[in-house]
Amino acid sequence: MALNKDSNVYTIAFATIMVVIVGGLLAFVSMSLKPMQQANVKNEKMQNILQAIGIEETNGVTREEAGAKFNKFITRRVTINYKGEIVSDKTANDKIDAQDKLDAFNIDLRKEYSRYVKPIMSRNKGDDAKIQELLSNSTDIHFPIFVCEHGGEKYFIVSASGKGLWDDIWGYLCVKSDGETINGSVFDHKGETAGLGSKISETWFEDQFIGKTMAENGAYLPLSVEKPGKDLNNHQVDGISGATFTGIGVNEMLERNLAVYYNFFKNNPEFTK
Amino acid sequence: MEYINIFIKSAFIDNMIFTFFFGMCSYLAVSKTVKTAVGLGSAVIFVLVVTIPINYLLETLVLQEGALAWLGDDYANMDLSFLSFIMFIAVIASIVQLVEMLVEKFSPALYGALGIFLPLIAVNCAILGAALFMQQKQFANIGQATVYGLGSGFGWFLAIVLIAAIREKIKYSHIPAPLRGVGMAFILTGLMGLAFLGFLGFEL
Amino acid sequence: MSEVKTSEPLFSKKNMELIKNPLNQINPVTIQVLGICSALAVTVQMDNAIVMSIAVTAVLVIGNLLVSLMRNVIPGRIRIIVQLVVVAALVIIVDQILKAYVYDVSKSLSVFVGLIITNCIIMGRLEAFALGNKPWASILDGVGNGFGYGLVLMVVAFFKEILGSGTLTIPGLGKLTIIPESFFDWGYMNNGLMLLPPSSLFIVGIYIWVQKAKNPELIEA
Repeated sequence: MALNKDSNVYTIAFATIMVVIVGGLLAFVSMSLKPMQQANVKNEKMQNILQAIGIEETNGVTREEAGAKFNKFITRRVTINYKGEIVSDKTANDKIDAQDKLDAFNIDLRKEYSRYVKPIMSRNKGDDAKIQELLSNSTDIHFPIFVCEHGGEKYFIVSASGKGLWDDIWGYLCVKSDGETINGSVFDHKGETAGLGSKISETWFEDQFIGKTMAENGAYLPLSVEKPGKDLNNHQVDGISGATFTGIGVNEMLERNLAVYYNFFKNNPEFTK
Repeated sequence: MEYINIFIKSAFIDNMIFTFFFGMCSYLAVSKTVKTAVGLGSAVIFVLVVTIPINYLLETLVLQEGALAWLGDDYANMDLSFLSFIMFIAVIASIVQLVEMLVEKFSPALYGALGIFLPLIAVNCAILGAALFMQQKQFANIGQATVYGLGSGFGWFLAIVLIAAIREKIKYSHIPAPLRGVGMAFILTGLMGLAFLGFLGFEL
Repeated sequence: MSEVKTSEPLFSKKNMELIKNPLNQINPVTIQVLGICSALAVTVQMDNAIVMSIAVTAVLVIGNLLVSLMRNVIPGRIRIIVQLVVVAALVIIVDQILKAYVYDVSKSLSVFVGLIITNCIIMGRLEAFALGNKPWASILDGVGNGFGYGLVLMVVAFFKEILGSGTLTIPGLGKLTIIPESFFDWGYMNNGLMLLPPSSLFIVGIYIWVQKAKNPELIEA
């Protein structure tokens, strides 16, 4: 062999050529698959939002058809902050622009939680009043609302995000135009125990929320997940046996997020008209 | 407080071995005596504490979507996250190389004992696994990421030293012949994993 | 395992053994104890185990082939890094393809796809076999070890899913109910422990027990 395989020049040349080839190949693969991957993520989000509405037309929507149906059913996208001020208001005619971070559709539920809510909660552990105060003064936290008009009724899809046993959990719930009755829900999770906590994303669990309300006698009363087998009132749903901590996480997330929406609907009666 | 939480969570609740089986290969292969187990465990802690912060910087300053914004507006929308696997493993491999050279120079006895397994730290899933989890967990700052590395490493260290201690004793027990060695180690690890599930009760 | 002669038929006895042996006598997971890291965490549902096996086999076969083709030009000093780069590049491609075409599966496998890089089976085979053997033999070796890995993974997933959830999720067929409703009426319960990480270890332990009891020559002294 003419080449000395152990020489420095050879080693460096080999490494350089390899890096160039591998880098080029990976960039090419990534570039060519990127549109499909982004479409997947976007369509899944649309699918989740549509499924949360809880009307027949959108219940079994697949990821493929979600894109087309989304514009048909969702007529308005609104983003509010903790104080209930509207920071972004778009109609179905405004295209979703990935650069517009305030567009309700571009609000990343997991990031809202891990970046803004979690630090406040863990730093002030145990001092609930302070947490409440800091959270409600924060203008960084955004809450998306998707408005769906269908059959003369208005539906408001709101969101919630929090922490399960292992990792983040989040979901969309649909509130009827009375501002307190739930019409449907969709939950998802990052890494709950498969077969236990992961059941929050199953239909039977999600469907339990239909018809429940988050208010009593005109005051906010959070929805809650109970131990399975208990007698349930109008605010409670059955939990998952063996997944106590996921249930606690769901409760915390629903209580914290829905309160904001409840107050918003209550203080802005013209919005739900 | 945040730091202590992260440490306890990564060391006990999300223990590398018992909940994710990261680094099982070297865990089973090097756990025959406590002495080598301590050596490898320490090496893992060290490598994790060094590589996690470096990978964290890499992730936040180069790889993440929009991470290159500091280079100028033209780069603000670059997303290099598809390169993260290869970048992480490159960092890990070079650090491991460094550790290997240091160990060889300063502790030939340990080098002899660990033999083939030191280079294998590069392909120890615990190291890359921790880097990938670090990426997923989106830590707020480099301190948290470092503590996460330390905690994960400590959890791994604890696991391998515990199993090594048990395996040293169990040599003298009568167990069914086909279960001798690896088979028993699997079942023991399972039992220890069950015990560690108890840490889930911690409210952090 | 020496070099396979070029004149040898493609599926000679020796070549077939490259595929057959890893399934039992030198099974990469249960006997050589390699590649367990990422293996056990994806076994709660059968479909994840199947996709993971296919992904690992694909990376293993292509990686083996590439390294075997390059075996005469790879500089000795950086061979580990070269192997890592080959594997990492392949895994990134697999990950990107999963994300684009089977999004749901890629979601449930999450970080474990990336961990294929550090799967010791792959590095082990590249280093121990592909570096010293011809491409065809390396491909067969990759297939054999990939299957040996997949076999254990699927056995574990099979028991975990049936005992833990009473179902079997097979790609293309969906979630099949295995334990009939009537069992539950009689008081049968799904075993929640089966869904938690430690049960994988018990199943592999028992697997090794059965395997070694059948092949006494494998018993450790």
